[in-house]
Amino acid sequence: MATFWRLTGFLKPYRRGVIWSFVLAGGALIGTVLIPFLTGQAINAIRGHHHRTLLMFAGAILVAGAARLVFSVLRRLVAGRVSLAVEVDLRETLYGQLQQLELGFFDRQQTGQLMSRATVDLQSVRFFLGYGLIFIAQSIVTILLAAIAMFILQPSLAAISLAPVPFVVLIAYRYGHRSRPAMQEAQQRIAELTADTEENVSGVRVVKAFAQERRQRERFRHSVQRVFDQQLVATRIQAFYNPLISFLPNLGLAAILLFGGREVIDGHLSVGAFAAFYAYLLMLISPMQTLGYMLGAGQRATASGARIFEVLDREPRIVSPPDAAPLPDGPGHIELHDAGLTFEGSSRPVLDGVDLEIEGGQTVALVGAMGSGKSVLVSLLPRLYDVTTGSVTIDGADVRSVDVNELRRQIAIVDDNPFLFSATVHDNISYAYAGATREDVQRAARAAQADAFIERLPDGYDTRVGERGLTLSGGQRQRIAIARALLAGGPSGPRILVLDDATSSVDASTEREIKTALERVMAGRTTIVIAHRLSTIALADRIVLLEHGRVAADGSHEQLLESSELYREIVRSGTPAHLRTDETLEVSS
Amino acid sequence: MRVDIAEIRRRLQATGDRGRKLRGLAEILAPYRWRVLAMFVALVAATGAALAPAPLAKEAINRGIDHHDTTALYVIVAIFLVSAIVYAAATYSQTYLVGWVGQRALQDLRMKLFAHLQSLSIGFYSRNIAGVVISRMTNDVEALDQLVEDGLATLIQSSLMLIGVIVILMVMDLHLALLTFIALPFLFAGALAFRIASADAYRVTREKIAAITGYLGETLSGIRVVRQFGQEQPHIDRFAQLNDENRDANMKTVHLNAAYFPAVELLSALVTVEILVVGGIAAIDGHASTGVVFAFIAALNNFFDPLQQLSQLYTTYQSGMAALDKIFGLLDEEPEIVDSPGAVALPQIAGRVEFRDVSFRYGADPDSAWALRDIDLVVPAGQTIALVGETGAGKSTFAKLAARFYDPTEGAVLVDGHDLRDVTGESLRSQMGIVPQEGFLFSGTVRENIAFGAPEATDEQIRDAARAVGAAEFIAALEQGYDTQIGERGIQLSAGQRQLLAFARALVADPRILVLDEATANVDVRTEALIEQGLRRLVAGRTAIVIAHRLSTIRHAGRILVMEHGRIVEQGTHEELLEAEGRYWELYSDWAEQAAA
Repeated sequence: MATFWRLTGFLKPYRRGVIWSFVLAGGALIGTVLIPFLTGQAINAIRGHHHRTLLMFAGAILVAGAARLVFSVLRRLVAGRVSLAVEVDLRETLYGQLQQLELGFFDRQQTGQLMSRATVDLQSVRFFLGYGLIFIAQSIVTILLAAIAMFILQPSLAAISLAPVPFVVLIAYRYGHRSRPAMQEAQQRIAELTADTEENVSGVRVVKAFAQERRQRERFRHSVQRVFDQQLVATRIQAFYNPLISFLPNLGLAAILLFGGREVIDGHLSVGAFAAFYAYLLMLISPMQTLGYMLGAGQRATASGARIFEVLDREPRIVSPPDAAPLPDGPGHIELHDAGLTFEGSSRPVLDGVDLEIEGGQTVALVGAMGSGKSVLVSLLPRLYDVTTGSVTIDGADVRSVDVNELRRQIAIVDDNPFLFSATVHDNISYAYAGATREDVQRAARAAQADAFIERLPDGYDTRVGERGLTLSGGQRQRIAIARALLAGGPSGPRILVLDDATSSVDASTEREIKTALERVMAGRTTIVIAHRLSTIALADRIVLLEHGRVAADGSHEQLLESSELYREIVRSGTPAHLRTDETLEVSS
Repeated sequence: MRVDIAEIRRRLQATGDRGRKLRGLAEILAPYRWRVLAMFVALVAATGAALAPAPLAKEAINRGIDHHDTTALYVIVAIFLVSAIVYAAATYSQTYLVGWVGQRALQDLRMKLFAHLQSLSIGFYSRNIAGVVISRMTNDVEALDQLVEDGLATLIQSSLMLIGVIVILMVMDLHLALLTFIALPFLFAGALAFRIASADAYRVTREKIAAITGYLGETLSGIRVVRQFGQEQPHIDRFAQLNDENRDANMKTVHLNAAYFPAVELLSALVTVEILVVGGIAAIDGHASTGVVFAFIAALNNFFDPLQQLSQLYTTYQSGMAALDKIFGLLDEEPEIVDSPGAVALPQIAGRVEFRDVSFRYGADPDSAWALRDIDLVVPAGQTIALVGETGAGKSTFAKLAARFYDPTEGAVLVDGHDLRDVTGESLRSQMGIVPQEGFLFSGTVRENIAFGAPEATDEQIRDAARAVGAAEFIAALEQGYDTQIGERGIQLSAGQRQLLAFARALVADPRILVLDEATANVDVRTEALIEQGLRRLVAGRTAIVIAHRLSTIRHAGRILVMEHGRIVEQGTHEELLEAEGRYWELYSDWAEQAAA
């Protein structure tokens, strides 16, 4: 219930609109309730052979109908506006919160689950707040008004004919309660089916290569059958409740015919009143059902709300302190003091007491086996993660004490498998520097050896790439990511540049060209390269060897060759030659 | 809102061409014709029973109340109850049957599409964007699902109900019925206007919400980049903009609904008044009975409700039909490579591969450039050949022809003397292993992935294969070993690990002929050494065609083919080719220089 009241808090900014829609709905309702009443009176007039009275009531029905038209048009407009405004607010609040939460939160969440909160759960909340509440109020008021009118006409008959109402509401509620989980399970299975489909289309070449069409088809048939079975469960529930919900009101109608009819015969009830009774009950059928469904929807919305609040209530862990200063000016001097990091839910530290000082302008190669902590170490600099022990300072300021957005603008990381957004090449390169001109973008692209292939794209720098655009090869994406990093924070680029094996997917000659260019841009800025290849290591003044989250060796290439067995192994095992081609068997396209 | 005539015509036509779709649907429903028949019977019964109350109420007034005949009243109430029970029973059967038949048809359609997609050739997948193909199977089938779930029963029932009401009204009192029908032209005009105006409005709302969902998904996938560059605010702004667009699009539908539905309500009040006045005066003058007037007004609900429901369903119906169009379009796509009528199963092969005067170009255009030209080559069983050359030289086209992903434009590809066009695809590929450059793995366990090409493989065979290619070590380090889930629903493997698993997968299938596209991605040194070793184990004793990127692989190959512009320009062993100081020598010097860098 607490969740429910919290949810209604989203309506607060639109209090006036909400009140107006209730008032307007009430007005429309009065029209709706008046019409059967007036119809009954008109029928009485017919039986009493009163021409004028008949015409008068007919006129009154016209007026009521016109009033109802005005009220419902306005109600729909006002309520629609409120509902859509609430939807916008809900979505923006949730999105804003997601943008504040730290990376660690996302590591532990499945993207699909977050998506379902932001779509399915949000939808059910906004439907309930936007329409459900009004429908509930409208249904209750309709039932009450009609009940009052019926009791005034004939109390005993009213009692008998209204008897099915609570049952209809209850059953409709049960229906909403039971059918929803069944339908959600069906949706879940359809989602699995979708994943199967995607995989079989993407992997069609592998399936064909191993001649496994028949087996894949059988597996798919199994998935389809699972969907069918679940859909049938949902259908059965629907088939059970639907007839009940529509059957019960008929009992009320039968009661009116029987008892009302007898009373008319006995002269205790006018035919007009009888007709009105009948019309009222007809009119009540849909509000009864709506009330039940909407109560069910309310319950679901509350459950969805609880899941949304779970995300909203989470305190972002990595935020700037209240009086944060920008990062002080400096050459990009980095110091790690006894830096350690253990991820939430894990007992083994990924970094364990790292002491490391990197002078401003220096180029350092981080070397080590998979899982030795290289990528995590560089993630500490822009505070993608916070150390669990020790500290990280840049130009004398603890990274936790400065404005985090300012900090991140000074540090650019190029991942080994870079992510590009569904946007133009220009927008991707200028991602971290919104004011970039085409010249800035071209300059960065040239430095990253990306301009030549970009010019050859169908629309040059205006070509859309990413998930919903042109698919680029790994090497092309890496070069765009390097260009993006070179523009981070402004035309002069970031203070600290991190290249996480950034040239792994480019061919040898391009790699050589990028390196020549990089040497130029690296001059004067602190650069950390995470390197697997000797040729990359050769870019650095100094090499830091990591092993199991600790610094195992530190020094120049020659020093390390002499002192470290591990480093010797790395150098010995090689410098494989590469002749990169973009032409592949197309298996993974 | 200004809409020109051509635009209106276009929107109207969007619902046209029903014949073809109906034929397609009839085909899918044919196996279930008895259930479909039962479904229609239930629908008619339910509609009939739903229509009963109004005339029964009329009878109750006319025969029972007006004649003070209690017995007649009892009889009518009894009939009323019976009709209610029939209604409930028929509704149960109808709901169940519509659900069953609809879902069954969808299931069959999905299977049909899936089987059809499998039968299409690789060429089709190269020409079409995967996302578009997938959306036929997902979005379009779901649009139909929506139609089945929300609308099929309502669609049929509302139509039946409408016809039924019209008949009942006409039987009860032709004169009053005709008066009621005066509303029809207005209703139809209104419905038509609503339909034209709303068709695009609803489509836009669907597009806008899809854009929001897509943007959200992208932000979540790229959250690391957003954080790295501290770009939260621009994303929040852009999201707000999408949100506003979505709201505006929805507001348009609110306006349309606010204009249309209350108008229909007003129309129903107008008709009530009309019947009351005209029917009432007739009744006063003794030309009609009060019961008829009353029954008419009671039946008006049944007249307007189906009309309302039909207009509400219109958009679902429209998108379902559009989806069906696209689905049938895909089903009409003919596979290019099919087993020829007299194709035989390839017997156990030794693995001799022959290209006999093969030329090949992509597509049917005779002016397009040759991808392969005059290839004449025999690879003896058991030999490893390395294909080298620059991008676009024809290396991977060569490999694709060997696997019969395409048929040669001229000449023939033979395995052990059998022309590939004369053997069944399954018998060929079950003896052939193909290792792609970036190992595509399916979601499932490590074990399932290794056993992909040989589902009957024992645990021991799987472990042996993993050990042989050097994958056993990292698999053992995984939390659940061979039962670890990988792919989207499990853990992500590195490029090197994927490559090793792809090797193991090929090894378990134990092919006679291996086609391998070497990975170029950089992996750490230890994995690099493992891959090299695994590769050597994999090719041992088999015919292997390797698109080679690693010097070590090239050196170990029995024969090296240097390709240029679709032709083989040089071939021989590493030493022979170096001695010749030709194209290979040039390439090699280039690599050697880089390796030393």
